[in-house]
Amino acid sequence: MRSLQREPGVLLALLAVVALVAIFIVYPQVRVVVTPGGSYTEFLAGGTWMKPFVNSLQVMALSTVSAVFLGFVFAYAMVYTDMRWKPLFKVIGILPLLSPPFVVAASYLLLFGPRGMITYGVFGQTISIFGLGGIWGVQTIAFFPFAYQLIADVLSRSDARMEQAARNLGAGPWTVFRTVTLPLSRPGLGAAILTTAIYVLEDFGNPWVVGGQFTVLPTQAYSLISGFGDFTSAAAVSTILLALALVLYVAKVRLDGGRSFVTVSGRASSMPRPPVPGWLSSACFAACSVLCGMIVLVYGSLVVSAFTLTFPVNTTFTTSHFAFIFSGANGVALRNTLVYGLAAATFSAPFALLAGWLVQRGTWRGRGLLDLLLIMPAAVPGLFFGVGYVLAFNERWLDWLSSGGLLIILAMIFWNVPVGYQAAVAGLRQVDRSMDEAARSLGASSLRGFRDVLLPMLGSSLRVGFITTFVRAVTTLSVVIFLFTSGTTVATIRIFQLVNDLDWGGATAFTVADIGMAMAALGIIAVLARGRVALGGARA
Amino acid sequence: MTSLLDRRTFLKGLGIVTVAAACGGAATPSPSASATAVATAAKTAAPVTGTISVYSALNQSTNDQFFAAFKAAYPGVNVDVLPLAAAGELQTRITAEKANPKADIFIGGSSEFHDPLGKQGLLEAYISPNAKDIAAQFKEPTGLWTGWYTGIFGFISNNDRLTKEIGGKKPATWDDLLDPAWKQKLVLPSPLLTGGGYIFIATQIFRFNKDEDRAMAYMKSLHANIAQYIPTSPGALTLIDQGQFVGCPNWSHDILTEKGKGNPVDLTVPSDTGFEVGAISIVKGGKSENLAAAKALVDWSITKEAGDLNVKLSNRGSTRTDVASAPGAPSLTSVKLVNYDRQWATDNKTRLLQKWQSTVGL
Repeated sequence: MRSLQREPGVLLALLAVVALVAIFIVYPQVRVVVTPGGSYTEFLAGGTWMKPFVNSLQVMALSTVSAVFLGFVFAYAMVYTDMRWKPLFKVIGILPLLSPPFVVAASYLLLFGPRGMITYGVFGQTISIFGLGGIWGVQTIAFFPFAYQLIADVLSRSDARMEQAARNLGAGPWTVFRTVTLPLSRPGLGAAILTTAIYVLEDFGNPWVVGGQFTVLPTQAYSLISGFGDFTSAAAVSTILLALALVLYVAKVRLDGGRSFVTVSGRASSMPRPPVPGWLSSACFAACSVLCGMIVLVYGSLVVSAFTLTFPVNTTFTTSHFAFIFSGANGVALRNTLVYGLAAATFSAPFALLAGWLVQRGTWRGRGLLDLLLIMPAAVPGLFFGVGYVLAFNERWLDWLSSGGLLIILAMIFWNVPVGYQAAVAGLRQVDRSMDEAARSLGASSLRGFRDVLLPMLGSSLRVGFITTFVRAVTTLSVVIFLFTSGTTVATIRIFQLVNDLDWGGATAFTVADIGMAMAALGIIAVLARGRVALGGARA
Repeated sequence: MTSLLDRRTFLKGLGIVTVAAACGGAATPSPSASATAVATAAKTAAPVTGTISVYSALNQSTNDQFFAAFKAAYPGVNVDVLPLAAAGELQTRITAEKANPKADIFIGGSSEFHDPLGKQGLLEAYISPNAKDIAAQFKEPTGLWTGWYTGIFGFISNNDRLTKEIGGKKPATWDDLLDPAWKQKLVLPSPLLTGGGYIFIATQIFRFNKDEDRAMAYMKSLHANIAQYIPTSPGALTLIDQGQFVGCPNWSHDILTEKGKGNPVDLTVPSDTGFEVGAISIVKGGKSENLAAAKALVDWSITKEAGDLNVKLSNRGSTRTDVASAPGAPSLTSVKLVNYDRQWATDNKTRLLQKWQSTVGL
């Protein structure tokens, strides 16, 4: 990228990105943090946040390690091995991303609780899922797909020739993995660790349902609002979360150093990857089967419940739950969910990519700050993101924003920017700058080079951003709970209502419909992109 | 991905989109309750018009029929319901929206959720002419909120496990729950996160004549028997339905509903129990032309018709003496209640919750 003065187009794009980030990410959070009330410092001095703080760190360390490890295994298996059932695993591997709150976590209780159908029913054990162990297990499965997507994206783009060269020079499979594959996957691994760690920190739903007395920062913030109406202290907890995310971010930047991970250069590569030993393929297949089996169990129980009268008491087959959820306001909620999710993803993914390009390829001052701000939303619990939007944009002259659902879409866009952004930056770090330079020396502007040269190579990063934004948008409750109106209600709100109504059949049917609709939408997009957009994000 | 799978997901998606679009119309109001309501409309002569935005913490089934009946009684009023069966969230939302209030009415949820909004000056005082039929203990004296239904705290137990593990002995008093047989077999809706959990603590305090230390000692002993504090009251019921735990103090009306669905559970109401008053309030600062319509909803919700309908839909009680309770449901006169000082319990909520937190070490 040349200096900004000489590229008005780039300058304009940069100003637009900065303005949007300032208005829709920074300003609402500032409104949350500076809510009037004097107990802010008092609360911090009081120290009641120390225990949840330590708990949060503990959960973050455990869940991040296990989720990223599983994500790596899954991604490696998809990209490198020739194991069977890959398309099936790909679809199942995306399911945990599509977990509307409460219902899925509650399904874990049904299966693995003190009288769980598996733990007690099959194995006769009364071990309790409540507490640290439960959160760890549930979060590992809930968050490994994020790691998987980011790592698979990077692995699939790495140049097979490097591995072939290493093999030709006499290195064994393990040495190649250790000295070539693993180091080259570092941008993806780094992005995966950072994103997963931040999402685990921010996670509210899983600790809420299976955490029991094990309080983490987001659940503490919630009980401060719910039990004491103490917004100021809750905002203080939110600030602690942001500070933790900042520390993670700085650590990641330090670790990356100024290393180069370029694996995509100008020369085309059509060389196949070196074959993976048969036992490794089998091991990967076994690992993926166990993981997917577990996922099928949890989601399968939802499907069974959706088609039975009152699961597990009365398992008579019925379609009445579905008849109910497709009627009246429920149908509108499903339609809104689809429209908002698609709108948010359609804007968020290219925005994240553009922002990633401006930051990663730019030389202007203040890039680091923008980089940080684009990751920050991941650390903001959805509840505070939503509250921030109410505090910032609930003005009479802005009423048109909320009545048409635009405010919900905006919140979904900017809350979900981080993953797409991380994918874009990781992807760009693999692409040699000589590519952009070649385009420019042929007379193209930087923007043109971005559009015509880089964009086609970053399709998979765009896809990661799109899929993540879409699935998070159709499954979030906490962001929309303060933003929805009677005309702009969404599926998660209805599910929440049905759960509180003790209509378990209706709630599970709605969940199945929501997940089915999201899968169908992703499937249609896959068809429209002529099969190039595979669901899991990995090209095998 | 195989093209076969692609085509199938595509068709499936198309089907769902079509169905969703076809179902896009407004909910059809249920005709069941309209007959009685029309009679009321005839009595209220002046036609009230306007559109009110209602934040409702009631159950979905109640919402549908309750507001359909109201519309039948006041055909000129349009009701725009925002349903969220979590009164705490609605309270938070109304607070957050105070710069530009979006709600005209906040209905449902214990008065404990309404009262703080009134203290913050976010509610419009209105004393309905119909409020003369409501006893003073069920309404705020200046009309900031009016109580229209009641809920009694009871105890749900899982039949099978109660017989096998506790010898079938249901608690006659709350003290019975301190029996070591219950160790780690009870759950309680979280006092921090649910209205019911807090009312349970307040009930213990009133049971010991406001001797807070004795009540806290009770909560500490009970803590040893409680396996988990559950974040929602309905969530706790589900766990007992499934037999994950043996028993739980919870709302009688919801326990009855669960039992009615065929779950293997039963309801007991231990003596000296507490109760909630479900409230309705008018949010200040809504559009002034809607105020008359908002007042009409307050007027109507404390009529006998509305009370009867709500009892039928939710198994709850009414604050009116002329509304009979649901079959099998306890009523305020049929059970032994503590002397529940609602204003004191509301005013001291933060302090008592903090005291409870430090007592049990949470």
